Amino acid sequence: MTTITAARRARPRTQLRAGLLFLLPSAVLIGVFVIYPIANSLWMSLHDWTFFQTTHEFVGPANYLELLGDPRFWNALGNTAVFTLATVPAQIILGLLLAVRLSRARWWTSLMRSVFFFPVISSFATMAIVWKFVLSADVGPTAAWLRGAGIQPIDWLHTPNLALGAIIMVGLWKNIGFTMVILIAALQDVPESLNEAAVLDGAGPWGRFRNVTLPSIRQALLFASIIAVIASLQVFDQVYVMTGGGPLFRTETLVTYMYEQGFGQYRSGYAAAIAWALFLLIAIVSAFQLRIFRYRDVD
Amino acid sequence: MHAKKLLAAVAVTATVALGIAGCAPSGDGSDGDVVTLTYWSGFTGGDRQAYEDLIQKFNDEHENIQIDYQLQPWDSIAQKLPTAIAAGSGPDLATPDYNVATIQQYASNGLALPLDDLIGDGDTQVGEGILPETVTDSFSLDGKLYAAPANYATLLLYYNKDLLDAAGVEVPTTMEELQAAAVTLSDGNGQYGFAIPDNATIPNWPVLIWADGGDLIQDGCSALGSDATVGTVETWAGLIRDDKISPIGATGQEAQDLFAAGKTAFQINGPWAAGAFTEAGINFDVAPVPVGASGSPVTLASTVPTIVSATTKHPKEAQEFLAWWLSKETQAQLSTAAAYAPSRTDMADDPAITSNPTVAAFAAEVPNARLYLPTEMDFSKIDVDIFTPAIQSATQNGNAAEALAAADGQLNELLGC
Repeated sequence: MTTITAARRARPRTQLRAGLLFLLPSAVLIGVFVIYPIANSLWMSLHDWTFFQTTHEFVGPANYLELLGDPRFWNALGNTAVFTLATVPAQIILGLLLAVRLSRARWWTSLMRSVFFFPVISSFATMAIVWKFVLSADVGPTAAWLRGAGIQPIDWLHTPNLALGAIIMVGLWKNIGFTMVILIAALQDVPESLNEAAVLDGAGPWGRFRNVTLPSIRQALLFASIIAVIASLQVFDQVYVMTGGGPLFRTETLVTYMYEQGFGQYRSGYAAAIAWALFLLIAIVSAFQLRIFRYRDVD
Repeated sequence: MHAKKLLAAVAVTATVALGIAGCAPSGDGSDGDVVTLTYWSGFTGGDRQAYEDLIQKFNDEHENIQIDYQLQPWDSIAQKLPTAIAAGSGPDLATPDYNVATIQQYASNGLALPLDDLIGDGDTQVGEGILPETVTDSFSLDGKLYAAPANYATLLLYYNKDLLDAAGVEVPTTMEELQAAAVTLSDGNGQYGFAIPDNATIPNWPVLIWADGGDLIQDGCSALGSDATVGTVETWAGLIRDDKISPIGATGQEAQDLFAAGKTAFQINGPWAAGAFTEAGINFDVAPVPVGASGSPVTLASTVPTIVSATTKHPKEAQEFLAWWLSKETQAQLSTAAAYAPSRTDMADDPAITSNPTVAAFAAEVPNARLYLPTEMDFSKIDVDIFTPAIQSATQNGNAAEALAAADGQLNELLGC
């Protein structure tokens, strides 16, 4: 008896120690490559930190105060907000429509799912270069066909009022597949019994969708929308490649502004402040989303 | 059981740590008598072969100094170089940026070595006064030289001979002729007369402004609001908006692509573009930038500085390489291979230069060439936040006078005028 109890008491402790030791390599990696840079960037944001200097002056909240009065920051924030508000609902709704259409396994649904998912896994920078070429009003296949047909092509990327629309469209093209895949998986889990019960109660397709399907996939919808919002607030790739933030800063987003300040003007401290402002924004928005979806409630 | 698990965990940590250590850049090489210098270069463009060939030549000719030439994209170098140098683990030589004013940052922060051994009468030195004054002025801080030119380019007016011949247009020699020609050669439907890029480009607009006697900065204060500057921008913006001589908001690459596609008759560009145009089969030639209201020929000079790291262990050998790079023989080969003007002022009659008409054309403009914002530490802010938006506003919205007045105020505030 003593031996067994002693062994039982000993096992958790050695397991704990062994477990911690096995965590050590990952912890070291995360500490060095994730936690340290994050803490360092907060430190940088409190200094007047130019890339080339070897000593830096502590200025406290000065960078953040400068942000508040910086018209380019507010412009970037506005553009980022417009981009997010335009992309996320569209992404969820279109992704849901696709998921519903493609949730049943026919011979062609597999192919179509791959077609829509392919942009998600492709290299965004490369795809953005291709899109830039396609949308060009001067050199590119679309321009050639349109001019050949006597139509003046629209210069999407160089027209201040249209450039953000092009950025939004490319963003949607890239990410709809991701939402679709998540929702397809969620749709498979909708209990068929509920659907049958609804049919017996006389519910039509829309009624079933509204009262059975949607509530059942609520968790997945929440997940997809939170991921979509977080990703949209950090939009960078297609803006950097397609418009560089122009024309006249009309497509400049928080991350492209941060990149330009940090690596174009070498103002590392200010760029770090922008990064933390973005972090704050994402945290607030995500908390809000979780609240309104009543995440804690379990159906 | 304890020992095995402990050993396993430690082994994994050690492997990971070794892996991380393996990512650190290797220190400099000094293998016996052979000194190896690491050189981070940003010349990844169409002319890269010319540079690589010359590095190979140096390595072949020098037994005791070898160059480890590492090509990287410009923004990669910009991100890594300052910290690498400060940490003592950076390259011995580097081209920090294609923007000249970056040198001021490197020099004032003690990251670049003063090139005291470079200028002199010795065999492994460059003579006094050989380098162009514009170059030595902009590469110096407090009287000390901190960089050597890796190349020296001027801009010329490229023109499409077929398009000009078909429309019966002569090669323009004045800005007014260029403006008229550009209008004639534009059809308002995708065929442009003179594509003028305003962002992500070798600067074009400053050349147009200088030609008419205007400027961005004069005597330390903003000249953006001067009559000459405003008048020039208004004229060209009007032609772009009303006569569609150029696309609006084009990048340098887009303008270059238009010329390569035969969709613009004129384009101001540097020697690096000639190869792309030849490959595209365009029947082109180059002419000096037309003379404007100032009455004097003027064009843009572009030079890429090479620095020696302040923390290099081989300052003497690094400067010896730079002196070799600036020697007549090397400059002649570089000019022939990449059509750059030599970085020396004493090679105007050199047969290597005069025998090649394209090279001779670019080299002939060296005395008329000016650098863009060469000594402004805030050049990036001036270009991105003040000058380019004003030009873009003038061409997008047609409000040149307003936009330049606002930019004038901002620039004066920045310069403390």
